[in-house]
Amino acid sequence: MCVSDTLQKMHVHIYRQCISVIITVNYSCIVARKQSLFQHMLSTLPKCIEQAKAYSTVVTVGSLHAVKLLYVKVVKDCRSQFEHWKKVENDYESLQERLRTLPDKLSYDIMVPFGPLAFMPGKLVHTNELTVLLGDNWFAKCSAKQADALVEHRKKHVKNTLDDLQKVMKNFQNRADFTDDLEKLTGDTGDFVDIREEVINEEEVTKAKHRLAHKANSKPKQEYLLDLEEDKEKKEGDEEGTTGVLSEEELWARLDELERQEELQDERYRLDSTDTNGEDTTSSSEEEKEADGGSDVQVNGHQKENGWVPTSITSQMNGTNGSHPEDEEEEDCDEEAGNGLPTIYFSHTAEFKKVRINTGKNTTLKFSERNEQKAQAKRKKKSGKSNGHSPHESYKITSPADIYRVFVDLVNGEPIPRKSILKSRSRENSVCSDTSESSTADFEERRAAFGRSWSHDDATHSDTSDGITEEESPTGTSPHTNGCFEAFTSTVIEKDPLPCSIPHLTIAPPALPTIPERKLEEVGPEAPQEPPKWMSKFKATRLHQK
Amino acid sequence: MAEAIHKKLQSELEKYQQMQKDVSKSMTSRQKLEAQLTENNIVKEELALLDSQNTVYKLIGPVLVKQDLDEAKATVSKRLEYINGEIQRYETLLKELERKSEQHREVLSSLQQEYQRAQGQAVGKV
Repeated sequence: MCVSDTLQKMHVHIYRQCISVIITVNYSCIVARKQSLFQHMLSTLPKCIEQAKAYSTVVTVGSLHAVKLLYVKVVKDCRSQFEHWKKVENDYESLQERLRTLPDKLSYDIMVPFGPLAFMPGKLVHTNELTVLLGDNWFAKCSAKQADALVEHRKKHVKNTLDDLQKVMKNFQNRADFTDDLEKLTGDTGDFVDIREEVINEEEVTKAKHRLAHKANSKPKQEYLLDLEEDKEKKEGDEEGTTGVLSEEELWARLDELERQEELQDERYRLDSTDTNGEDTTSSSEEEKEADGGSDVQVNGHQKENGWVPTSITSQMNGTNGSHPEDEEEEDCDEEAGNGLPTIYFSHTAEFKKVRINTGKNTTLKFSERNEQKAQAKRKKKSGKSNGHSPHESYKITSPADIYRVFVDLVNGEPIPRKSILKSRSRENSVCSDTSESSTADFEERRAAFGRSWSHDDATHSDTSDGITEEESPTGTSPHTNGCFEAFTSTVIEKDPLPCSIPHLTIAPPALPTIPERKLEEVGPEAPQEPPKWMSKFKATRLHQK
Repeated sequence: MAEAIHKKLQSELEKYQQMQKDVSKSMTSRQKLEAQLTENNIVKEELALLDSQNTVYKLIGPVLVKQDLDEAKATVSKRLEYINGEIQRYETLLKELERKSEQHREVLSSLQQEYQRAQGQAVGKV
């Protein structure tokens, strides 16, 4: 009842607005001595009001259509009034013209109208003396110029009325459109799409969490989604503490295993393009561990390869290139039905793994990974329940690794870590054995794969940071874009010149071109193109070099 | 029982409709007053544009009666005040009528519910 009342009041109010507009119209009608029009306008209003009331009683909460009809009616009325006022304005314009030319002659020879049907020749005299109707039965004798001034003054009023009408019209047009949209929204028609990002349920969160917590290649997305769940429900510290404690030993063991595998991968990776498969499988196996309990290894592997796409955002609908971590969530998302609206399930990919800084030994990585996870979780907590997206301004730096994570350049849409200022550029293109093989591998990959997923890295912490970077990469890294290629021209090929010559994803022939060039070329081809090329190139390179 | 309620409902409904008519009537007259208000405002402004050299006339019936400019200005101002007062009066009247019609509506709705219940009971009994 109260709804209908409010609706009625609204409608009455609408029409009161129109009334005020019409009233000025009425005045001008009087001025123009079109009493009939005035009466008509006056009479239509109460009808409209009653109609509005009728509508309001008829309209229920759900019938947007009737409301829309009302709005459309108002718009139509406004339009007709607008037409009328435009005519009035034109009349005043022509009147002014006449007033300007009238006093030019002392008298004019005219045909004087006699009644409605007859005319008589006559003279128009006293051309400068005019009796002007001021309104409300008041007249004034004035000269043509004075009358001109009066007309100007009236035109001002007309203009105001026109403007008001325009506003009202626009207003109600917008309202009508809005009700239209509202109808579409609720009716599941139109182009409205509901975009959702689903967070995995708690069970999976907890289950996956302890798998992820110290994973070498833990999927960041998974992580932070999990963390998000955590944050929502428990204190982050408690959650991590409890679940971490339960599975920590197991995780550490697994972590060591993974690291060993990664090193092996790196070796193979350097030597053979086909190693990528191996890496993928290993990486995928790693990922499998992480959270996609049910995911197929092969699927992961393929996706891993496909996942070179640096885009960190894939919609559910285009889920073919979904990152591995997305698998599970995507599945979850799939399961959830759209609520009548076409729904796009938004999920982050773990595609981009932050370029890993060679911190040297893995021991630190674990720690930093942990830290990063915590930082991530904290960030999630802070960001609250955004649509899975951490705010990119979460530049919370809790460990040195965070710095590298946070401050990345954006080259062609792919985040590239900034080269340390301490690192001399002279080391570019020079073969220097930097550190261990793993670090070498890291350097290579950093060079080669911009924004690629580094699952096969031994970057445990890079993985975790991936998730973090993921969040930031689409948004946060853009401020850091400087397109500096040099920053990434990194390293050198250490012991094995082959790898550096092998552009993972470049279209360039696998010779030993300079690294920068190759990098440029690399940037050229977009990520999606790369995977297939990368495969072939690698092989080609190897063959070529062999 | 249902019959009695039905009759009451009918009478209330009629009263309510009457009230609505009153509301719309006062609404109309208020609109008229609004029109006159704007009109007199414009007249006042235009009189200000004139000087005492122009003669001002008032149309009283079929006769144009000469008026003094200052007199005309005063008359118009007085009229304006009168119109404003009238509008205020009508406003309060309208509010009152609205309130009353609200009450009536509530009564009507309750009666309607009662009637429906009674009808339901009658059906049940039968």
